[in-house]
Amino acid sequence: METIIQSVLNGVLMGCIYALIALGLSLIFGVMNVVNFAHGNFVMLSMYFTFWAGSLYKIDAIFSPIITFPLLFLFGILVYHGLIKQTLQEHYTIQIAVTVGLMTFLGAITQLVWQARPRALAYSIVQGTIRFGSYTIALSRLISAIISLIIIMIISYFLAKTWPGMAIRATSDDSNAASLMGINFQRTYALAFALGSGLTAIAGGLLMTFQQVDPTMGLRFGLLSFCILALAGLGSITGLVISGLIVGISESLAMTFWDPRARTLVIYLIFILVLWFKPRGIFGRK
Amino acid sequence: MNFFKEMNLGKSLILILFVIALGIPYVLRTNQYQVLLATTVLLYGVMATSWNIVGGLAGQLDFAAFAYLGIGAFVSGTLFIRFNLSPWFGMFIGGLVASGFALLIGIPLFRFGIKEVWYALTTSALVEILKVAFNMWEKVGGPVERCLPYFSGSWQHMRFVTYAPFYYIMLTMLVIALLVNQRITNSKLGYYLKAIGEDETATEVLGVDNRASKLKALVYYSFLIGMTGGIYASMYGYIHPSFFNGPESTKVAILGIVGGRGITFGPLLAALLLVGAQEFLRASLGGEFSGLYLLIYAIILIIVVLFKPRGIATIFQDIYQKFKTKEVKK
Repeated sequence: METIIQSVLNGVLMGCIYALIALGLSLIFGVMNVVNFAHGNFVMLSMYFTFWAGSLYKIDAIFSPIITFPLLFLFGILVYHGLIKQTLQEHYTIQIAVTVGLMTFLGAITQLVWQARPRALAYSIVQGTIRFGSYTIALSRLISAIISLIIIMIISYFLAKTWPGMAIRATSDDSNAASLMGINFQRTYALAFALGSGLTAIAGGLLMTFQQVDPTMGLRFGLLSFCILALAGLGSITGLVISGLIVGISESLAMTFWDPRARTLVIYLIFILVLWFKPRGIFGRK
Repeated sequence: MNFFKEMNLGKSLILILFVIALGIPYVLRTNQYQVLLATTVLLYGVMATSWNIVGGLAGQLDFAAFAYLGIGAFVSGTLFIRFNLSPWFGMFIGGLVASGFALLIGIPLFRFGIKEVWYALTTSALVEILKVAFNMWEKVGGPVERCLPYFSGSWQHMRFVTYAPFYYIMLTMLVIALLVNQRITNSKLGYYLKAIGEDETATEVLGVDNRASKLKALVYYSFLIGMTGGIYASMYGYIHPSFFNGPESTKVAILGIVGGRGITFGPLLAALLLVGAQEFLRASLGGEFSGLYLLIYAIILIIVVLFKPRGIATIFQDIYQKFKTKEVKK
């Protein structure tokens, strides 16, 4: 029983970060109906940037998003204008192909620049563990989960109350009507894409406080966030967080009780089953 | 044969290329490693050509090529190891099991209307699922390579000491894959698939059975690749869960898109150019540039997608058309 609770606790903490990663993907998919296959590799890229910031300039992983967020935001704008915008009117095969190209590109370049061996930062200022009776929680994971939730709430506020946020929501509902109302939808698309990519910078920084990074990670985070997106459907941030938790907990339980190798298996199985039986997601609005 | 009755520029070009392909193992006979690399180029040619049925004609972006290859390899290899069944038969069983598996996945997938992005994601998840599953399934897979018997060679069991026979087997597979492709393209099924690839809803409205057509395409594709899997296992002499290779599956799809979706010879052309260049560089530079290679693939894919979204084969088609009109004018 204690093992179950401990495992669920770990899953919940990871799930919050997963939800943050998937939020970026969901923003992009919701607004322009493009699934960014390279999303997982964006996470990996920001983890490597965090590693650089930490090892070369001694910036703690938890503060590194101050640098990596603008970097990834800019990168998102560049990718949008350079690649995504050109293919928006094309056959969906072309849309997917261009992000697959980007995914392969980022995967190969990280392998060339940082080599195949795993990289980790030596230490972070958030260290140590907290004990609740017989349960232990790593402080870095707890703080990362809390920060993730705070960021998700900020984004949710941004989407609900600010003008650019409302523009994003309007464009995602009906881009034609939105552009008739005077919303520059190209700029909104660029903003959504850049924001989605910027969020991975925060997630990458948080992950680096307790994890190492290697070039195979992109694929895992990619499929993980697709799974959460499929579970959550579109339009509900609460649904996204719950789906993130479901994925995190099932991954953690599978690792504890079945086989450490089964962690990905469980996620992919959930993904396929959800697509079969609930193609619009469990919490989907549209 | 019909083929020789209407001889024209395109067909004579294909014949010349085929004759050149026949001679390659003789040219490279001093270096077995290079024959293996040439066979690898053909392997990707077979896979990309088969991919064209589902990914090109039917427009279903499939990233599971190596899932079917792995299944074919494991079925043929396991039958060989356990029951001493020759891979000459095993490869057909491998193809059947691979297409059975494709049906198992495809029926619910198409039944629940999963298409476009979600189809692509499902298939890329499929390769990873199988890789993990076979790693954990110790009876058949497991993390250790399982070697095929008859090290010293035995032609009845598709075991050869040189790579040249595999080269010819793969060449035969390539011809079969091209013929199947050509047949489907010019059949009723081919027109259905092309229509589905353009607009699924419109095709459905016009009374085409989308689901059945896509399933048929999937069965042809997975059978061809499953059979190739049997050859693949015999060629490398072992079976291992790393056969379920995600990035390589993506590479097959890249070849298909770069070559030209729905054009019979397009994916083969891309495979010859890209994989050919890759294996040539590997032979001359060594394996240290493998990461660099994916980078080049990615850049070529992005450039082709942005500037020639119909594929590089269209360039050659345009040139060919020009020649043809000149001939007519004379």
